[in-house]
Amino acid sequence: MTDVEETLKRIQSHKGVIGTMVVNAEGIPIRTTLDNSTTVQYAGLLHHLTMKAKSTVRDIDPQNDLTFLRIRSKKHEIMVAPDKEYLLIVIQNPCE
Amino acid sequence: VFDINGTDVTPRPLYHPDPLTGTAKPSKLLTSQEGSLGSEFISSYSLYQNTINPSTLGQFTRSVLGSSTVSKSSVSASESIAEDLEEPSYKRERLTSFTDLQVIRAAPEKIVTKEDLEKNIEIILTETETLRFFDLPTVMVSVESEEAEKVTQRNKNYEVLCRNRLGNDLYVERMMQTFNGAPKNKDVQCDKIIMEDKGIMSTAWDLYDSYNAMEIVSLSVKQSVVESSSKANVLPKDQDQRLPGSTTEKNIETSSLMDIENVILAKIHEDEEDHSDAILKSDKFHQDLFFMERVLMENIFQPKLAAYRQLPVLKEPEPEEPEDVLESAKHEEVEEESKKEEEEEIHAEESTIPANLERLWSFSCDLTKGLNVSSLAWNKTNPDLLAVGYGHFGFKEQKRGLACCWSIKNPMWPERIYQSPYGVTAVDFSIGAPNLLAVGYHNGTIAIYNVRSNSNVPVLDSSESPQKHLGPVWQLQWIEQDRGTTGDDKREILVSISADGRISKWVIRKGLDCYDLMRLKRTTAASNKKRGEKEKKDEALISRQAPGMCFAFHPKDTNIYLAGTEEGHIHKCSCSYNEQYLDTYRGHKGPVYKVTWNPFCHDVFLSCSADWGVIIWQQENVKPSLSFYPTTSVVYDVAWSPKSSYIFAAANENRVEIWDLHISTLDPLIVNTANPGIKFTTILFAKQTDCLLVGDTDGQVSVYELRNMPTVLETGRGDIMDTLLGSKSNQSA
Repeated sequence: MTDVEETLKRIQSHKGVIGTMVVNAEGIPIRTTLDNSTTVQYAGLLHHLTMKAKSTVRDIDPQNDLTFLRIRSKKHEIMVAPDKEYLLIVIQNPCE
Repeated sequence: VFDINGTDVTPRPLYHPDPLTGTAKPSKLLTSQEGSLGSEFISSYSLYQNTINPSTLGQFTRSVLGSSTVSKSSVSASESIAEDLEEPSYKRERLTSFTDLQVIRAAPEKIVTKEDLEKNIEIILTETETLRFFDLPTVMVSVESEEAEKVTQRNKNYEVLCRNRLGNDLYVERMMQTFNGAPKNKDVQCDKIIMEDKGIMSTAWDLYDSYNAMEIVSLSVKQSVVESSSKANVLPKDQDQRLPGSTTEKNIETSSLMDIENVILAKIHEDEEDHSDAILKSDKFHQDLFFMERVLMENIFQPKLAAYRQLPVLKEPEPEEPEDVLESAKHEEVEEESKKEEEEEIHAEESTIPANLERLWSFSCDLTKGLNVSSLAWNKTNPDLLAVGYGHFGFKEQKRGLACCWSIKNPMWPERIYQSPYGVTAVDFSIGAPNLLAVGYHNGTIAIYNVRSNSNVPVLDSSESPQKHLGPVWQLQWIEQDRGTTGDDKREILVSISADGRISKWVIRKGLDCYDLMRLKRTTAASNKKRGEKEKKDEALISRQAPGMCFAFHPKDTNIYLAGTEEGHIHKCSCSYNEQYLDTYRGHKGPVYKVTWNPFCHDVFLSCSADWGVIIWQQENVKPSLSFYPTTSVVYDVAWSPKSSYIFAAANENRVEIWDLHISTLDPLIVNTANPGIKFTTILFAKQTDCLLVGDTDGQVSVYELRNMPTVLETGRGDIMDTLLGSKSNQSA
């Protein structure tokens, strides 16, 4: 357990990381470093996107599955590690 | 019933017991006006009005009832009727038709069972033949025929009759009332049928999941799973109902079996908090965190890693970073700036740029700060994995030590950390079992760790072994030795050299996949004698054992190896002789810290020592071939470049030097100075890339890239010494 906490702390302290979130399948945040409204917003939106991405991947080949999702925008990069029970979301600003 | 014209207009019943026989008989109606009883239906027998009406009526009503008892009475009635008539054939007809009717009436007494209700009954609607209710063709009589007069007379009589009809007593208007069935309204109310829209989008993976899940379910024994499987069977059939994605979430569900189970399980699960903890503790989460960290690292270090891997460096579209102080722990800004410099350099012509060392990044973290890097080793199978041993530099004050495994993909935190109370002096990865890491300590212990696990406990330890080393283990190496002489298979052995003057060979007898803590069985008896004669340096026995500092096995012949001692001598020894050395190379005045064979030219080897010098030797020659004394500082480490036989690197106290013998034997090609206060202690070349790893006393392992090195000559690798000796410039101290 402490290992996990330590890793989470390390990730949060990395250069450029704006926020780290762990939300469960219903969208309730388990661990987050941002405020609740932002977290809920991210969780809701990314959940849909992840489902869609997963559906796309599996439509092409049902034996395949989505493991990681990265969205690079002008300002940040959003990285999502999806799972059946949770979503691990990290927002990083890789430039500065 | 007859109308005025005598035609039969009795209303026929709707019940036609035998329509086939009916169609054949209409002619009977018309043949005789007097007794046109020719219809086959009982009820439609029409008789003379006056006498027979009541019986007809009775007959009619009774026949409508259709009970079997009627038949007898009507038979008698028909007989009586038949008596009045002259045609005997009626009886027969009547009877036959009657019997037909009798049979038919008895038929439909079947009980309709439930299955019959459920049965699909085919109803075929077809057009029946035209039934003629009434057909009166005209009769035409020729005027000149015999009957003409009669017909005309009759017609005239008829006209007279019609005229006299009104007011005539013979004709009475009579009314008849029919029974009107009382209408009755009947209402039925049923429960409201609730309609629900249900839609599902069946995707390819959805179907795949369901089929796969059903296969799994058929093997499973669980009750709940079986129940939910029946539900899942229904859902895939909803293919035709495709609702657009805009409907609410309640209507759309994935038909995957696992999700149904999850829903069931989630409802059963009472404690929310437990669930979230479970998530955090799960292995998958751990793995995801691991990947996430690596992805972040990749983002942060992307240019450096790309340079390391010799990929083109992506340029970020952003403003230039301001320059920052060099000594800060985070060197990213510096790297950014130097990267930009270097990019500008790239645009310039390459030939004018001298070779230089470009610092990419450094492996360091809080744990390693302040410790001295004592050894570096690459993993033999995973080129990204690096083992680093940390100890204390001032070897008198040995405190805790650390052996870390770093991955190139994560320069900020080591993958594995193995702590120990003693300083680490040597590390090496095994060749045959690349997950085994041998670590040598300052107290002479050798431990073998399995890097697959994170635990701090070594797999094997030599601390209890009676023949363990008594002094610091200065070097460890796994050697694959062909032990054809002893009849064994090619086996990997661990060779160590330590300050107690012994080179020992460690063999793990029970196989390399043993995880129990077990004693190493060493055949040091054989090799101990080899080194037991460390006492004798080059002559007869001397009691004192000379501490060994380093060794190197010949790349081709693993029987021969070199050993460097603290006295400055390098001995060539063989595994088959453990009594004496084959040769001694004298040239150094101080302890020889490193000796290493040239990877291409197998007769040449290199050594460095505390007497500030680096010497190149030839195997046959006991005198030095070339020596270098660049500075007045101890040379801690030296290594040949894996790419060229002319290039080697040397780590002084405060400089890293790259020498290219092809270009010059007087000066190093590149000199990289360290930050003040930091000494470089170890070097290691990276195999596939042009990079150099340098460890220092601050606990950092810096990765440098060799840029703009002169091109490697493919030819002449083996002739290095001839080339050099031809133009040699020997410098003796």
